[in-house]
Amino acid sequence: MSPDASSGTPRIETRGLRALYGRTEALSGLDARIPAGEIVAILGENGSGKSTLLKVLARIRPPSGGEILLDGAPLLSQPRRETARRVAYVPQSVELVFPIRALDLVLQGRAPHARGFSADSPEDRARALDAMKACDVLDLAERDASALSGGETRRVFLARAVAQEAEIWLLDEPTAGLDPRHRLEFLDVLRRRHLESRRTVLLVTHEVDLAARIADGVLLLRRGRTLASGPPDAVLTVDNLRRAFDVEFREGPAGLQAAALPDRPPVVR
Amino acid sequence: MTSGAAGRPRLALAGALGLLAGAGLLGILVGGVHLSLPALWSGAGAEGEAARLVASIRLPRVALAALVGAALSLSGAAMQALLKNPLADPFLLGTSGGAAAGAALASLAGISPLLSPAAAFAGAAASSVAVAALARRGGRLDLQRLLLSGLIANAFFSALLLGVFSVASASAARTMLFWMMGSLADASFGKVVALLPWAAAGAAVLLLYAARLNLLAVGEDSAAALGVDTERAKRQVFVAASLLTGAAVAFAGIIGFVGLLVPHAVRAVAGNDQRRLLPICAVSGAALLVAADALSRAVFAPAELPIGAVTATVGAPLFAWMLLREP
Repeated sequence: MSPDASSGTPRIETRGLRALYGRTEALSGLDARIPAGEIVAILGENGSGKSTLLKVLARIRPPSGGEILLDGAPLLSQPRRETARRVAYVPQSVELVFPIRALDLVLQGRAPHARGFSADSPEDRARALDAMKACDVLDLAERDASALSGGETRRVFLARAVAQEAEIWLLDEPTAGLDPRHRLEFLDVLRRRHLESRRTVLLVTHEVDLAARIADGVLLLRRGRTLASGPPDAVLTVDNLRRAFDVEFREGPAGLQAAALPDRPPVVR
Repeated sequence: MTSGAAGRPRLALAGALGLLAGAGLLGILVGGVHLSLPALWSGAGAEGEAARLVASIRLPRVALAALVGAALSLSGAAMQALLKNPLADPFLLGTSGGAAAGAALASLAGISPLLSPAAAFAGAAASSVAVAALARRGGRLDLQRLLLSGLIANAFFSALLLGVFSVASASAARTMLFWMMGSLADASFGKVVALLPWAAAGAAVLLLYAARLNLLAVGEDSAAALGVDTERAKRQVFVAASLLTGAAVAFAGIIGFVGLLVPHAVRAVAGNDQRRLLPICAVSGAALLVAADALSRAVFAPAELPIGAVTATVGAPLFAWMLLREP
């Protein structure tokens, strides 16, 4: 995060945020400041509260305590639709039981703006198609979204977030389960959209190297609290990572990586 | 795949309206006495009068069949979208079991059969409330638990029903059988008028929630993130669907397969946009039940088949055929 992040009003600020996941506490007093216009990667071991944080910010789950400020104003006292116009959520994976045209899925991003959630005016359609073009999925518009590949689906949901015209995008493990090509395609589209529109992006990931490469800031979580936050270089240290993940990390060819697996022994001819 | 995802709602609506008109005509003309259209329309003298008299007796039955069919189809379509499960049906959530048990207990207690729709409706309401209470977890309506709770309620009520059945008098047993097999034989305009406001209220709520059901059909989290108050939406849709089922069961007993078959068939033609799917389902469900009722009166005339047996006999092979031709 930029050095002056602490001076201005952050886009999102949480104070002592608490939330339950089932009966266990997933967030236990989380303080975080997310500056506007940056890509912030949220890292932490499974159960550290990453996804719960996104769900609470998207108002999918209510917090059990603490405060969330959006541009300095309390988020939870806003009407839900108002939040949905400002915060877009890209789910990790969605099981589509019924067929739905990819364009109709992107049109759902217009629902918070439409009367009675019923978005299909010509203007809505135009914006949805623009968003699909921007995310390289225009050619999939008429296809059944339940039959798309994982990578295509993620980009269609990103297009839905673009069509939503929210200033904040929350992405839950957007590259999980994607092969290298689809992963690169997704990140390329995300970076281009971000450079163009300067949205504030929060993305949950398990990939330390990804965080180091595309994020402006990193929020490292441990047991529902902030362990460290700031620019990737400052946060992603061997020491911090050991504390966050309980494994040794070391410098490898692709950046920092877990060192638990021994190197492959040299091949003896 | 393209047409499968987007569908052709206009064509489907036109088709459904056509089917309903045809079924309505069939429902008036066939039965113990077959009428001819010319005699009904312009027949003079005794023949024409007799035709019009028979038609006026059959008309409330056609109207009741249409209302019940529409209510069951709407309820099924909404439950399927809400539960993200194409196999959900109006009778899955314990509403029907509660209704049948309510009617059975009333007849066992010697309450006038005239009041048995009210008893059935009370049973349906009690069962739905119990199922919803059982499915609550941490202040949320858990949709997985809702299915299981419905299953529990149905098992409990069918046991209760069998118990009552074994000790009931012959006339009470006959009443119960009526609930379990479904029947439109006692149709009257009074019943149509009594059912109409409940059905209209349930339908209005579901249509109001149609756009939100589209968002919910993708996922609860996804809908919540788009600004839908999902807890409220789930509650309202559940209440409206239960209301439709309870009202239909109260006046016609348990008529299976309509709520499962109609939405499935309509979805294949019209796509899955609930704003269009729900009205088309209502019209198609009305047409199906009116036609099935006509069939139940015509096949072994003057004897009548139980309507529930007809819908299952026709519905099951039709459903199997649709399943087989799906890619």
